[in-house]
Amino acid sequence: MSQEFIAIFMFASMMLMLFTGQRVFGAIGAVATIAALALWGTGGQDIPFSAAMKLMKWYPLLTLPMFIFMGYVLSESRLADDLYRMFHVWMGPVNGGLAIGTIGLMVLVSAMNGLSVAGMAIGATIALPELLRRGYDKTMVTGVIQAGSSLGILVPPSVVLVLYAMIARQPVGQLWLAGILPGLLMAGLFILYIWIRCRIQPELGPTMEDAHKVPRAEKIRLLGAGALPLIIFAAMMVPFVNGWTSLVESSAIGALAALVVSLVKRRMTWKIFEDCTKQTLAISCMFMWIILAALGFGAVFDGLGAVKAIDNLFTEQLGLSPWLILILMQLSFIVMGTFLDDTAMLVIVAPLYVPLVGALGFDLIWYGVLYTITTQIAYMTPPFGYNLFLMRAMAPPEISLKDIYRSIIPFVGVMVLALTIIMIFPEIALWLPGYVYGN
Amino acid sequence: MIRAMAAYVHVVDAVNYRIGRVMMWGLFVMMGILLWSSISKTFFLPSLWTLEMAQFAMVTYYIVGGPYSIQMGSNVRMDLFYHNWSPHKKAWFDAFTVILLILYLGVLLYGGLGSTAYSLGYWGDEPVSYFTGLLTGSEEIGRLERSSTAWRPYIWPIKAIMVFGFFLMLLQAISEFFKDIARINGQEIGVSRA
Amino acid sequence: QNTITWRLQTYAGPSLAAHVIDPAIAMFNQIAGDRMQIELFYSDQIVPTGELFRAMQKGTIDAVQSDDDSMASPTELTVFGGYFPFASRYSLDVPVLFNQWGLNEIWDEEYAKVGVKHISAGAWDPCHFATKDPINSLEDLKGKRVFTFPTAGRFLSQFGVVPVSLPWEDIEVAVQTGELDGVAWSGITEDYTVGWADVTNYFLTNNISGAWAGHFFANMDRWNELPEDLQTLFRACCDQSHYYRQWWYWGGEANLRVNGTKMQLTTIPDEEWATVEQAAVKFWDEIAAESELKAKVVDIFKRYNAEMQKAGRPYRYG
Ligand code: NA
Ligand code: NA
Repeated sequence: MSQEFIAIFMFASMMLMLFTGQRVFGAIGAVATIAALALWGTGGQDIPFSAAMKLMKWYPLLTLPMFIFMGYVLSESRLADDLYRMFHVWMGPVNGGLAIGTIGLMVLVSAMNGLSVAGMAIGATIALPELLRRGYDKTMVTGVIQAGSSLGILVPPSVVLVLYAMIARQPVGQLWLAGILPGLLMAGLFILYIWIRCRIQPELGPTMEDAHKVPRAEKIRLLGAGALPLIIFAAMMVPFVNGWTSLVESSAIGALAALVVSLVKRRMTWKIFEDCTKQTLAISCMFMWIILAALGFGAVFDGLGAVKAIDNLFTEQLGLSPWLILILMQLSFIVMGTFLDDTAMLVIVAPLYVPLVGALGFDLIWYGVLYTITTQIAYMTPPFGYNLFLMRAMAPPEISLKDIYRSIIPFVGVMVLALTIIMIFPEIALWLPGYVYGN
Repeated sequence: MIRAMAAYVHVVDAVNYRIGRVMMWGLFVMMGILLWSSISKTFFLPSLWTLEMAQFAMVTYYIVGGPYSIQMGSNVRMDLFYHNWSPHKKAWFDAFTVILLILYLGVLLYGGLGSTAYSLGYWGDEPVSYFTGLLTGSEEIGRLERSSTAWRPYIWPIKAIMVFGFFLMLLQAISEFFKDIARINGQEIGVSRA
Repeated sequence: QNTITWRLQTYAGPSLAAHVIDPAIAMFNQIAGDRMQIELFYSDQIVPTGELFRAMQKGTIDAVQSDDDSMASPTELTVFGGYFPFASRYSLDVPVLFNQWGLNEIWDEEYAKVGVKHISAGAWDPCHFATKDPINSLEDLKGKRVFTFPTAGRFLSQFGVVPVSLPWEDIEVAVQTGELDGVAWSGITEDYTVGWADVTNYFLTNNISGAWAGHFFANMDRWNELPEDLQTLFRACCDQSHYYRQWWYWGGEANLRVNGTKMQLTTIPDEEWATVEQAAVKFWDEIAAESELKAKVVDIFKRYNAEMQKAGRPYRYG
């Protein structure tokens, strides 16, 4: 069987299982197993298990449950309520101010957790009802929350960048720092878009008159709430960037810090604690089992020569320039993101592309940022996307699926713009890590 | 038939639920090990065992906790079409594809058995007959595999835990299969733990 | 006639493999043509390095390039793989020990017992520390978390070194994320080639071994199925790989010490370093006491080094 055929066969049968609704890890694992049994030859049956040993050695994966737990503590114990009120009173008087404040909230929430799920949950439970009550346009509101929560994986800590770091063999610390300015740039562009849009159509984001009535002292007190994420962020990042603690140790400190803050603020009950712990197991298992299956899939795919076939296609058969290859890869991520789960995409597709990107002479830290923004776009674009699903699950009934689909269009446009800017000016991503690590 | 399946589902789901409820606290075992690692290296000499021990804890956490995550329905599906299907239609497709999941888990389990037998010093190709031999006394434990770290822990305990977890996962997948079969016949067995 | 295909996995990552294995496999494939092709996989690519031996024994992987220690060989020889402290002073010592002093026979026999064909042994680079902070005395070794070979780690822990084992490909990142303070794994050529020189600042010129000993192995059945001329060709290409490393490392070590700009050299005075050499003698005896076979190998090392000492310059100075 030719290598091209194997590549197509494996992808196609995986798609078939995914489309018929089997659990993502099951679909990937089963295809890997069948290909290993049928095509590998002697000893193929050991590959799925050897992937489990490989996973065990991937020590940065220990950060996964820690960051997931952090996110749950933040959203379940409603630590972000004060933060939201802070933005509420300070930004309220501006046209579209609450939406702009929501983006600000999302930036802070992003600095305290590693996934976009927590941002989504906080946005949908705290910001969404308030925005709707204040007469904000519903498509504007759902768009803001989806776009804002996608910052979660670009602003450190970021689970996606940890996984990318493992695949690309790049330092997590530098990748995290590389994500900060692009994250802020993207947040800035979101805000600019909301501001301009609400200048033109004030009815989309009415000003909040009663914000003026909040006493000055209260306003200052609420500003103090902004210190909260800084404490958690600093407890984790300062020892890490200074090399006092390692990556995995820092993630445990971050999880502990979030827990301590929620206890100090008296927001943690036994019920919430138990619930966060349970949900962390659920989500960690989901990630780990997908990674386990995908590692097996990758080994079989690679060992059967399918990786070489794809490399060959991009570099030799198509005869394209490096930039064109890069852009095609980004497009293919978005296309694949319409039907493939993003963790799976990361563990299966990124290992095919990353070495190629390196070989074409591009910087792999910079590419990590491009990759992350691209997956964020894939997260949000229909028909398949985590953020879309979550939004659908969390949104009140008056928001239809069509509203949700429609709402993301302008924000995806803004993200593509940010992506283009960062492609043209790599310094936006690379300046900060270069400055901190001094090379 | 359905009754026998219901009994199986009842037992397996209950066992995996209890095990999962214990496993979920493993999070704090990992956290504790990593925090001890930071403390020991800041104030004393770094410990040899922390990183590897945390890895063992992580593997135990996600593999043995896996069946409970299936019960909670947290393993994502691509519900582009699936989402809109009737429960009956879902059950039909699931019943087929879950067989492939069972195959995957079976191969994982078999690979795990082989690797565990190897870690106990058996270098042949028939792990199952080795383990039966161990029970009947016709086989014995040979060279114990150790991790190639300075701490050098024996490897068989973690491999045995993985095998145990894969076995539970396989039982859970079969339980899901039975639930689908029942659903196809218009019956609901087992309780939702979502 | 069908083309025979083998999967060979090396313990080295792509940047190092470009020197230590790629040319040999390219040569093999070019000469063997349609009769046989070897697909090369790098460190951890198909199976994790720690599972490499088992994968080869079962035939999941057909052939392996590694030292005994890294691939977690179950033989008693594992302890001598990679860097056995102070067993060799120069890289030429390794082929002499294997070809003239009987190590080949011992290795062939022990691996045949576990269903693996030992094809040949060759020398790599000396073992030095590359660290973020300088090492000027034995005191500086205390508490350093260092990526090193298991056996070297066992030996070095008596000086307060904390040996850490991680996948080879993760080392550069682990130094940056603070999991490691440095490596004691290679000479300066490899530090530059694989990128460790970019993340560490200091190179200690004292070494704990003059040359790494590593091998080519194959699954016994796969090896026996090969026609004799392909076996010969494979051996010839392995020897090509050994030969390439012999000059690449020897010249590279001198060149980068003198002309390299990324790492600063430090040295522990000879009198102080003598403590480590004496500890090695004790360590050899401890290993020899573990089994008859280990005693036999240690005895060969002892007799060989005594003879080199007697031969005088240029074999040994002082
Ligand atoms: Na984040
Ligand atoms: Na999508």
